[in-house]
Amino acid sequence: MVKLRARCLLLGDAAVGKSALSQMFSSDGAHFHKNYSMTTGVELHTKCVNIPETTDSVELYIIDSAGKEIFLEFCEKMWGQPSVVCVLFDLTSQQSFDSCSQWMDRVRAHCRGMQVPGVLVGNKSDLSERREVQTTVAQEWAQSQGLDYQETSAKEMENCEAPFHSVARAFHALYQERRETIRNLHVLA
Amino acid sequence: MTSTSLRSLGAKVVLASSSDEAQPPQNIIDGNTDTFWMSTGMFPQEFIIRLAESTGIDLVTIDSYNVKSLKIEKNTLDTFSDFQLVAETEFELTEGQLQSNAISLKGTTASHLRFIITSGYDHVVSVHRVSIQT
Ligand SMILES: Nc1nc2c(ncn2[C@@H]2O[C@H](COP(=O)(O)OP(=O)(O)OP(=O)(O)O)[C@@H](O)[C@H]2O)c(=O)[nH]1
Ligand SMILES: [Mg+2]
Repeated sequence: MVKLRARCLLLGDAAVGKSALSQMFSSDGAHFHKNYSMTTGVELHTKCVNIPETTDSVELYIIDSAGKEIFLEFCEKMWGQPSVVCVLFDLTSQQSFDSCSQWMDRVRAHCRGMQVPGVLVGNKSDLSERREVQTTVAQEWAQSQGLDYQETSAKEMENCEAPFHSVARAFHALYQERRETIRNLHVLA
Repeated sequence: MTSTSLRSLGAKVVLASSSDEAQPPQNIIDGNTDTFWMSTGMFPQEFIIRLAESTGIDLVTIDSYNVKSLKIEKNTLDTFSDFQLVAETEFELTEGQLQSNAISLKGTTASHLRFIITSGYDHVVSVHRVSIQT
C-alpha cells in the first residue's frame, strides 16, 4: 500500500470551466456556479484518488490556474514542477481548443525534460447544439500529444471524475515503472 | 563492504516524508545498497536520522538515484527542533547507476541529521544508503 502525491496543473483559456470542474471533482459535486467568477491567481484543491485493483492511492494537488493572459506571469511562478497536467477547452469554442497547443508548450517549459502524463478535456458537453469541436478531432490531437482525452460537463456533473482519475492512474503507472527501474539498477551495478 | 551500518550502531530513521511499505525508510541505514527508500511524488522530500549519541562527523556518504539538490541540516538535541544547515549540494545525473557522493561535514557534532531533497531529476528519487565517517 502506498500513497503517492502528484502536483496536477489545470490549464486552459479563461472561462472554459477549470474552476467549475475542479470544484465539482474535489468537493464531490458541490453547487455548480452559473455565474462566472474569474480566477485571478491560482487555487489549490486536494483530493485523494484510489487506484482500482490496488490498495494504492494518489493524492492530487490540483493547481487551478487563471486562464486570462494578464495573470499568466504570476501564475507560472506558482506552477512549480508538475507531476501531471490537465488541459481544458470549451467544446463550444474552437478558439479555446486552438489555444491548447500553446498551453502544452508552456507546460513543457516547466517539465525540465521529465515525462509528465496528461489529459485533454473538452468541457461543456451539455451545450451540444453549440458544439464547435468534434470528438474525433480533439481525440486525434490529444493522441498526437501523448494525452488521454475526456469530455465533461461540470454543469451536469457528467464524467467530471474521469480526467482526474486518468492522470492519477497514469502517475501511479509511472511510479511503478520507476520502482522497477530502481530495483533493477543494483543488479547492473 | 564490511563497514558497519548506521543501524547496527544504533541509529534510526525517525521521520520520512514518504513511505511505501515495500521500501521502508529504515532501508537507508541498513548498510546495503540493494535496499532503498523511495519518495512517492513531489518535492521537497526529507528524512531525519537519529544517531545513537552526539557524534562528530567528518564525512557523510550517500548512495542515491535521481537526487538533484540536497540540503543537510543537523542539531545536537533530543528533539526535532533547531536544525542548522551544514551542507547544501547538487548531485550529477547518473543514468542507469547509483549516484555515490561524499560530503564533508568537517567534524561537526550532531545527534540528528536531516536530509532535505529539494529537487530531483525525475518525479521520484531513491536513497539506498547513508553512512558516516566519524
Ligand atoms: N454550460 C456549461 N457551463 C459551464 C460548464 N463549466 C463551466 N461553465 C460555466 O463557464 C463559466 C466559466 O467557468 P469557470 O470554471 O469559472 O472557468 P475557468 O476556466 O476557471 O476561467 P478562469 O478562471 O478565468 O480561467 C461559468 O459561468 C461557468 O458556470 C459546463 O460544463 N457547462
Ligand atoms: Mg477559474
